[in-house]
Amino acid sequence: MSVRKAMVILLALALCLGALPLAAQDEAPQLSMWVRSINFQTQELVDTWNANNESQIELTVIPSGEFVTKMGAAIAAGDPPDIASIDLIYTPAFASAGQLVDITDFVKELPYVDSLTPAHMELGMYEGRNYAVPTAVDGSFIVYNIDLFEQAGLDAENPPATWDEMLEAMRAINELGDDIYGYWFSMNCAGCNAFTFLPFIWASGGDVLSDDYSQATIAEDPIVREALAFYNTIWEEGLVPEGASIDNGSNFASAFAAGNIGMAGTGNFALSLYQNDHPDLNFGVFHIPGKEGGAASFGGGDVIAIPAGTEHAEEAWRFIEWTMSEEPQIEIYAANGQIPLRLELVDNPYFEGDERQSTAASALAVGHTPYTTVYNDLFNDPNGPWLEMLQIAILDGDIDDAIALGQERFTQIMEG
Amino acid sequence: MAAPSLHKALPSQSGLTQQDIRMLRRRALLALRYIILIVLALLFLFPIAWSFLNSIKLPAEALAVPPTYLPSQVSLENYEELTTYGKIGVAQHIYNSTVVAIITVLGSIVLSTLGGYGFARFNFPGKNLLFIMVLSTLMIPFQSILIPLFVMIVQVDLHNTLLGLALVYITFQLPFGIFLMRNSFLAVPLEIEESALLDGCSSLSVLYRLMLRLVLPGIVTVAIYAFINSWNEFLAALIFMTDQDNFTLPVFLTTIRYGIWGEVDWGALQAGVIVSIIPSLGIFLLLQRYYMDGLMGGAVKN
Amino acid sequence: MISQSSVLNLSWEQRRKLTGLLFITPTVAFVAIFFIVPLLMTIVMSFHDWPLFGERAFIGLENYQELGSDRQYLKSLDFTFRYTALVTPPIFLLGFILASLVRHNIRFIGIFRTIFFLPVVIGLGVSSLLWVWMLDDRIGVFNKILLDLNIVPKAQLFLGRPNTAMNVIILSVVWKTVGFTMILLLAGLQAIPDELYESAEVDGAGYFRKLLYITLPLMRRTIALALILSVIGSVLAFDQFYIMTRGGPRNSTISIVYWIFNNSFTYFKMGYGSAMSIVLLGILVALTGAQFYVLRERY
Repeated sequence: MSVRKAMVILLALALCLGALPLAAQDEAPQLSMWVRSINFQTQELVDTWNANNESQIELTVIPSGEFVTKMGAAIAAGDPPDIASIDLIYTPAFASAGQLVDITDFVKELPYVDSLTPAHMELGMYEGRNYAVPTAVDGSFIVYNIDLFEQAGLDAENPPATWDEMLEAMRAINELGDDIYGYWFSMNCAGCNAFTFLPFIWASGGDVLSDDYSQATIAEDPIVREALAFYNTIWEEGLVPEGASIDNGSNFASAFAAGNIGMAGTGNFALSLYQNDHPDLNFGVFHIPGKEGGAASFGGGDVIAIPAGTEHAEEAWRFIEWTMSEEPQIEIYAANGQIPLRLELVDNPYFEGDERQSTAASALAVGHTPYTTVYNDLFNDPNGPWLEMLQIAILDGDIDDAIALGQERFTQIMEG
Repeated sequence: MAAPSLHKALPSQSGLTQQDIRMLRRRALLALRYIILIVLALLFLFPIAWSFLNSIKLPAEALAVPPTYLPSQVSLENYEELTTYGKIGVAQHIYNSTVVAIITVLGSIVLSTLGGYGFARFNFPGKNLLFIMVLSTLMIPFQSILIPLFVMIVQVDLHNTLLGLALVYITFQLPFGIFLMRNSFLAVPLEIEESALLDGCSSLSVLYRLMLRLVLPGIVTVAIYAFINSWNEFLAALIFMTDQDNFTLPVFLTTIRYGIWGEVDWGALQAGVIVSIIPSLGIFLLLQRYYMDGLMGGAVKN
Repeated sequence: MISQSSVLNLSWEQRRKLTGLLFITPTVAFVAIFFIVPLLMTIVMSFHDWPLFGERAFIGLENYQELGSDRQYLKSLDFTFRYTALVTPPIFLLGFILASLVRHNIRFIGIFRTIFFLPVVIGLGVSSLLWVWMLDDRIGVFNKILLDLNIVPKAQLFLGRPNTAMNVIILSVVWKTVGFTMILLLAGLQAIPDELYESAEVDGAGYFRKLLYITLPLMRRTIALALILSVIGSVLAFDQFYIMTRGGPRNSTISIVYWIFNNSFTYFKMGYGSAMSIVLLGILVALTGAQFYVLRERY
């Protein structure tokens, strides 16, 4: 049938190339929704919605690394999804380009609007208007393997609080065996290291961007250099498996689950993986420390927005509003070990008595999220300057070159 | 000069005649040639064979670290998994690739034949200029005009459609196709056509009833190239298709590399590799002669 | 025939002209719409700040000026040429060796020709996926073999270091494309009359003298053609870097086409991408010009 159709189309084309009334459009009554690959509760949300509503949502999972490209192409092509769960750091870029529906009037009506996670709400704003609300809250922190800590004679009750203490713990754990390592990082994954490495800098009082996010401060802030040197030591001393240097994020969460890694930077998204799929993993959580102490976290996660041009904005908002209501927040989010989007729901039956969850949730209190429209080009792009700088500094040890290169390319991108 | 005379002078101690020695030497060389050929052939076949072997392992075995050499058990589970992969399943992507390939093949044949015939057999004002224009597009790699093509395809609302992608592919095929078909028509003796025309046939029916049969090898060549190139193309498909439902096979395969946790399903990926290799391999093996003719005709003889 | 043409008041000749024009119209229209128009658009876009979505503005030569200070662009140019320089000799040498091996019509030779050519009909994207899997440090077969034979003490991260990444990608591309070069050279080899070799043998010429004084000079143009086609393919490389290394490690394997793709469709700077396309086009026109020149010399 399609062959015949194709032939007819082709004939028509050959005859009259000018007139092309042939755009094939499907008129599916359902809503399309995109989510990047890291967000796992979304599937359950959509399934539950579809089972109880007439409107049906079709979920497409886009690899995190390709989300911006795909979304950009879809917007440019004029057929974006009806609902998009976007990494919160991209919201300014899409909102500033006028590609998201202004939902200020909807948001105003929410009785619990003030308890929605502030970092997400802030990133979802552009020039005083709301374009997105939170859908996944994901602070970064460090998980540590209590069994390995104890085997290495470390105090598992008091996990490391400075970089030196972390290094000592890693060295002790590395001694335990050929296949046991003190630490894990995914050094071929740009976003993973924005999420888990930047907080080391922040917790020490430094930053790679100026306070108003207008300039790069990589070269002038000495803490950046020291943090790179810290990670370089970890690599040089073999405190991470060699494969960590080429991991593109495939093992970002799962490497620690194997049980032979002492510590790893991670986030809320991974806690449910550890708890549900690896019940035997005996682990704890501590905040990402600064050089001499302190703590910081990357306030990450996803916001949910309605791309401009959809015909189903009302229905899309109905879905979004439902996801923030109490039942899914408790029975889907908390039940799966995900932090509820409304702060008053953090105290729930599922989180009671789990210190790890409360530590993880408290990471959000020290959470920080850069607000820049070029976040992807700077940090998350696999070919961006952030990852290149890290690899050259940490894996090759050329910290000076790396900093010069990072400063130059950051500046170039930010000046547009 | 010295060598042969020396041989002649030497009495063959082992009782072998001069001819025997030469024959033995030739045989030894031939054997050596075959040995080298066989070793090289095995090396060339290895990646495909290895991929196939892994695609018929059990999914768990295909993920084993370190890998096993031979499947402990033959299983089609990886292929079954592929049929439900990413909820849409591989069938949809095979369908997408097939539809795009068929439109590309038909479009390339029709346009190349018409254009080739026109340029080969007719005289009209501006003919040389137009032919040079068509030929000069051979110099333009499609990679350098993808950006405006994207803008244009979006303008006419053909982005993210199989037809839109096929139109782009037809474009990529045309310069080569026209060139090849023009040469095919030129190779047909003029007298055959003239007698038909004098018998009262119209130009179109001469083309349809007579010439097509004579230039069939050229048409087959154009078709094979159009099929294989469209079936294998990656970059344009990556850019023009945003909706997962419309991904062609090569783009779909790259998505197998990312599960929800970023893990790779290697068994299913290899099954996918095999599935996507089979059609172009099959067509090539069946119609090898035409493919090679095209390579020579398109690249060398002209 | 004649009666028809008198009905239309057109002579036979005029009718032929019209028919010819009708035959080529669809084709020429297609080429004009999908090649000539985009080409002109690329030029126009390269003078604009032309984001993927949102407002566009005319900015004159700014995109071209930016090229000079774009560190990654210069690096990509350098990488693309280095890759081309490194991948061309092995493709050519192995292609020549294979062509020599399959030259004579000995028994089963067709099978060998087919086998060496097989990878050419596999897509580069698919073959890249195949190789990235074989090269994996944990699950890959190369490490398995090297470890089992005690050639390496521990698994190698082939795609993790700029040097080895380049080498293994070259290996995969040679496998994928050498058959094409082989067939081109085979045609050239077979065009040399056997008598030339026979008379040289009578004169006592050995293999290398025959190669140097007969084969290479007579195949000059075929060789040039094979080299140019291989060079053009390498300059346009994208799939293998996008799939096998994602441009890494250290952004060391980003080719020109890759960087155009990134700027246009990831950073949404289509105007800037167009300016780079124009430069790429210049390089390609020069190379293809060389190809046509070589071909023309032949007749």
